[in-house]
Amino acid sequence: MKRLLTSIALLPSGLRAAAGEKHLKRRLLRLTKHSALLLVVLGVGGMLLAASGIIPIKASSRHWALTDWFLSFAMQRSVATHSLGIKTPSLHSLDDPSLVLKGAGHYESGCSPCHGSPQLRLPRVPAAMTPPPPYLPPKISHWEPEELFFIVKHGVKFTGMPAWPTRHRDDEVWAMVAFLRALPALDAAAYRKLVNGNLAPSLDVPQYGLPRREDVPEAVTESCGRCHGADGRGRGEGAFPRLAGQRPTYLYAALQAYARGARHSGMMEPVAARLSREEMRALAHYYGNLKEAAHAGSVPDDAAAIERGKAIARRGIPSKGIPSCIDCHGPSATPKNPHYPLLAGQYARYLVLQLELFEKQQRGGSAYAHLMRTTAHRLTQEQMYDVALYYAALPPTAGN
Amino acid sequence: MLVQIIAQNIRRHRIGGLTASQRRLASARSGRICCRRQGRKVGSLVVLGSLLVLAGCSGPLSTLDAAGRGAERIATLFWWLAASAILIWVAVIGLTVYAVRLRPEPHSQRAAKLLIIGGGVALPTLVLAGYLVYGLSLLPDLLQPAPPGSLRIAVTGEQWWWRVRYLAPDGEAVELANELRLPVGEPVEVLLDSPDVIHSFWIPSLAGKLDMIPGRVNRMALEPTKTGVFQGACAEYCGTAHALMRFYVAVEEKEKFARWLARQKQPAQAAAGPLARRGQELFLANGCGACHAIRGTPAEGVIGPDLTHVGGRLSLGAGILPNEADDFLRWMARTEDLKPGVHMPSFGMLPTQHLRALAAYLDGLE
Repeated sequence: MKRLLTSIALLPSGLRAAAGEKHLKRRLLRLTKHSALLLVVLGVGGMLLAASGIIPIKASSRHWALTDWFLSFAMQRSVATHSLGIKTPSLHSLDDPSLVLKGAGHYESGCSPCHGSPQLRLPRVPAAMTPPPPYLPPKISHWEPEELFFIVKHGVKFTGMPAWPTRHRDDEVWAMVAFLRALPALDAAAYRKLVNGNLAPSLDVPQYGLPRREDVPEAVTESCGRCHGADGRGRGEGAFPRLAGQRPTYLYAALQAYARGARHSGMMEPVAARLSREEMRALAHYYGNLKEAAHAGSVPDDAAAIERGKAIARRGIPSKGIPSCIDCHGPSATPKNPHYPLLAGQYARYLVLQLELFEKQQRGGSAYAHLMRTTAHRLTQEQMYDVALYYAALPPTAGN
Repeated sequence: MLVQIIAQNIRRHRIGGLTASQRRLASARSGRICCRRQGRKVGSLVVLGSLLVLAGCSGPLSTLDAAGRGAERIATLFWWLAASAILIWVAVIGLTVYAVRLRPEPHSQRAAKLLIIGGGVALPTLVLAGYLVYGLSLLPDLLQPAPPGSLRIAVTGEQWWWRVRYLAPDGEAVELANELRLPVGEPVEVLLDSPDVIHSFWIPSLAGKLDMIPGRVNRMALEPTKTGVFQGACAEYCGTAHALMRFYVAVEEKEKFARWLARQKQPAQAAAGPLARRGQELFLANGCGACHAIRGTPAEGVIGPDLTHVGGRLSLGAGILPNEADDFLRWMARTEDLKPGVHMPSFGMLPTQHLRALAAYLDGLE
């Protein structure tokens, strides 16, 4: 009886609640309808606005201060978040002079046209972009190394900052980061020295069999020589391979592989892609015919490693399925296929890097590159170093 | 299962109200001619089918076409097993026919018990015990090592080919690949091992199979009884190209075998003709010698097969191609297509005339 009474008493409030719910539902429905209509109007209106062509996209008018702030805020946040998983090589290795040198060579041709350099702070044409590419030295300290890596590797949308030309060469991107970290401390003279080396005085040295200045291809003085040297000795740090005396067939095939993207390098691909076949042939012959009388750089005096490397180079490690090196790369009494590079006197650093790239399947190369695939991944890091040191210690003339 | 089917059949016949024999008679009357014709067709199909099946019993990869002591014992065991299996099958089918067609009435419990105990327990125990004793009695003979002083051959299972070394008493070995030659009627000791993964060495016509296990040497005695060319295969899955890991075995008269072995001991013959000479230069220039040895030349690689007398072998690529100059060219140009997973890289990037010269050189190494 009591229960019945309570339920009767509750009835009106229940009815009231139902009515309120109905009202709320109706309001919600109306709100949804209106919002949808507003979105449609905005979308159609936006399309009409764009179609009318009155939106200014001119770079000359710059961004509003607010837009500018918002875009750079969004960009900084994005870079900070996306660079979270990147593992930075130790800071010590980013200070490595040869890494800095390698980055410098590419900065001059790939970056300075927009970002300027201590030689020319504000190139005029890119300065008229919106947003204008920043002059970097004062900016570097705002970024962590892995953030710089992320920006250099992936570029930035809507700003004109391109991604690194290949996705396979993180080592090159780190070289660029190393250079960027060194950039704020450089004045114009130091920058020039780092980027160009001493291009001019190294020419006309008769003992290297160098040609007269007028015989040097234009590409060498304009671009190749900055890194590889007009004398083909690769500037003595191991940042760049020694090209002097290398087989022209190999050099030509390498340039072609770079040009068509079959050999991966954000630094070499853009340079090679600009060359005609005749220029490639001329360059291959120029560097191939340079004589190398002495070692290009100093080799660590590690006789034990050289001896171990010699054993691997001569006989391979049959139990691990690693073939000998000399049967293709010399030194050998019988002539070898000119598509195989000579390794005698090459920088150990460069050789180790190539082996690592082969191992990670990131090097690419000519139609012969797959021959290294089965070999490189079987070598340990130490064995790579030993073999590289053996070849680096050989006199360059031991080639064939 | 069989019992269930029989019981079901019996039940169905009861319900149908007709005995099996009545039915058979009726159906035979209605379509005698058609049945006879069909019967003939079925008969010829059975004959053809069995011929095809029996054709599989011979050939270079057959255990039943025995040409060696071990394989003969195994084949005898097989035929005994097959004969008993056929007998048992006939008896079971006979019983089924008897129970379903000839005497579908219920049988006495006593007869059923006798059948189950006799045919289900006693007979299998006796037959299987008999075969166990027979099978075990074969083992000592099959496992018996070759007598001391016999020819010794070390065979190593590589990925995916066979490294073969004829071990001379003085310790000097003659290396070849993917091929065995054996003197007829003489016991030979084969030492089996592998550097990395497990393979299994099997020449069905000569003997049973034996695993090649990394870290140990398994021994097998072969004693061929007939001359001829047989085939062997890897009988244990060993990786991508397992199915393409074959080899040839030639059993020859003693004198012929001795001549062959003497020839294998010799270094490679000089390249004859300008094309082959160019091929030899190219062999060294392209670094083939890093993996392959050709005795008597600077090529001293030990990773891949020894090629000193490769042109005189019965096959190429571990039993997968014939051994003509064209096959050498195909093998070098499309190695990775012909044998997926192979460790040798393809040399299809070489100009065709270079490949042709290389092929001529290798084909000439007899």
